[in-house]
Amino acid sequence: MPNNKEKDPDWKNDFPINQSEVTEVTRRQFAKFLCLVSGGLATGSAFVAAKAAFFPGKKVQGLHRVCSINELPVGGTRAFVLEGSSTPYVLIHLENGEFKAYEQKCTHLSCAVFYKPGSGKIECPCHNGWFDAMTGEVLQGPPPRPLPRLDVQVTGNDIFVTAAKEEA
Amino acid sequence: MSTFRRAQSQAHPNKTSTLMLAIVVLLILNVTIQIWLLYTGLNNALEHNKGIAFPAFIGSFTILIINCGLLYYLPRRRR
Repeated sequence: MPNNKEKDPDWKNDFPINQSEVTEVTRRQFAKFLCLVSGGLATGSAFVAAKAAFFPGKKVQGLHRVCSINELPVGGTRAFVLEGSSTPYVLIHLENGEFKAYEQKCTHLSCAVFYKPGSGKIECPCHNGWFDAMTGEVLQGPPPRPLPRLDVQVTGNDIFVTAAKEEA
Repeated sequence: MSTFRRAQSQAHPNKTSTLMLAIVVLLILNVTIQIWLLYTGLNNALEHNKGIAFPAFIGSFTILIINCGLLYYLPRRRR
């Protein structure tokens, strides 16, 4: 009997009738699949490089008033959103009197982060990630990057935020 | 004229099996390096270190070429 499998079109081999043939993956097929994955990863890297080079993210423009000093007690926080943007930020009044503003999205999986009063740390409760409230650096857990921050300026009784200066 | 392909087809199945396994292991290793390159490039780009993304892409693309080249050395199917 001639080997029908040789004559069958590819789609019949890809969707066989017998269940036992469904799970059969040859090492050749697996090697080709790995090449496909490799192509996908190279494409992903190309996308990241193109995005970084040609479409950089928008920077915060100008000064934005958040609240007055009286509205934010020591150890307190205030969530805010800048005009024309949906990115959530949090303003923190640290115990040493300083004000800090960070993006309220964990750099791991974008969960909301919270300041833990008295500890000097910002917590991401989703996967137990911790950030330094003074610098935004990662202290512990899965987050791969520091929290993006905004510079805070206190003018009179009002608190303003502006884009953070790039560190050289 | 004898080619590597002819010699490969005449080789003992144990040899071609070992070769197949070696190629698959190399491919897995290369894909792992590509995952690392993508992860590093992405994280640095998001952290405003844009200088990393392009070399990471060049590395990843080179590995893709190597992977495609490795497919050429896959032993032929037995008849």
